[in-house]
Amino acid sequence: MIPAIGLLIGVLMGLLLHPTVPLWMQPYLPIAVVAALDAVFGAFRSVLDGIFNDRIFVISFLSNVVVAAVIVFLGDQLGVGAQMSTGVVVVLSMRIFANVAAVRRHLLKA
Amino acid sequence: MGSHIAQRPARTAAEARYRLIRSLKPRMTGTQSVITAIFVIVGFATTAAITGNGTNGILANARQSDLVSVLDDLAQRQARLQSEYDRLENARANLLGGDEFQALNEAKRRAANLTLLAGTAPVAGPGIRVTISGNLTATTLLDAIQELRDAGATSIEVADADLSVRIVANSWFADSPNGVTVSDNALRVPIEISALGESSVLEPALKIPGGLQDTVGSGGGTFRVIASSNIEISAVVPLPK
Repeated sequence: MIPAIGLLIGVLMGLLLHPTVPLWMQPYLPIAVVAALDAVFGAFRSVLDGIFNDRIFVISFLSNVVVAAVIVFLGDQLGVGAQMSTGVVVVLSMRIFANVAAVRRHLLKA
Repeated sequence: MGSHIAQRPARTAAEARYRLIRSLKPRMTGTQSVITAIFVIVGFATTAAITGNGTNGILANARQSDLVSVLDDLAQRQARLQSEYDRLENARANLLGGDEFQALNEAKRRAANLTLLAGTAPVAGPGIRVTISGNLTATTLLDAIQELRDAGATSIEVADADLSVRIVANSWFADSPNGVTVSDNALRVPIEISALGESSVLEPALKIPGGLQDTVGSGGGTFRVIASSNIEISAVVPLPK
């Protein structure tokens, strides 16, 4: 519940403060956000699987975000940044779908 | 937090719901606050990414090659406008600083240009002369005139054995027996079109597939083009009173 309130506070801060994303961060922020969403949905799934571990969640969250950003950064340096971010987004969305599907099966048994 | 949930998948939907609700219940522990901080960051970053996207418009998502071509277009446009600006600035300086003679010259130059457009004075110069006989309709003639204009003809005259008509912006064409009526003058075939301009451009313009030559040829008429360095156009449009 408190994390949900935290999410709300974050969204409100984003809406009220109108943050300008620094230029060097612009290609990586959307990827990092998708990676973070993947970690969050993974956490819901593991709660229902009974294997949730807060330490694992925090570490997986951070490593997800960092790895996604590093992959895109590497792609940018190799000149395939656009393709790399597409690939990362595709993989992460597939994982999000899989996690949401697992949650759905648990909750609805369907 | 994970310690008080059994380390196994939820067996029933009810148990799954219970676990979800219990995991969402507020418990003020260290890890909860870490996770809350993470969620604050997630929310903030998400909205930042979304609003940041919106303000940058189309250019932010354009590829490098597109951006280069956009930049190129802008540079060309700027150069064009700059040369136009220079020309006008020059003309202005001439008119302001020069004597009356220069102003008069400029006015004469303009008058000459306008005379050409309005067709109020006879002209001569390089161009082509087209002779058409046989069935000629107003549509065909109009198409031919348009084709010549597109090819850069500056002055055009349409004539038969007796009459000649200067073609200007408000000329009109209608079908009439044995020929075409152009601006109230009934012309009879064979009709001669004189056009001033680059003959190497004007001539192919009439000979393109489906052009004047094909149209006249399929109607059973004859079509002849002569290119000359001195075509005279004597017909003029009377100046309105």
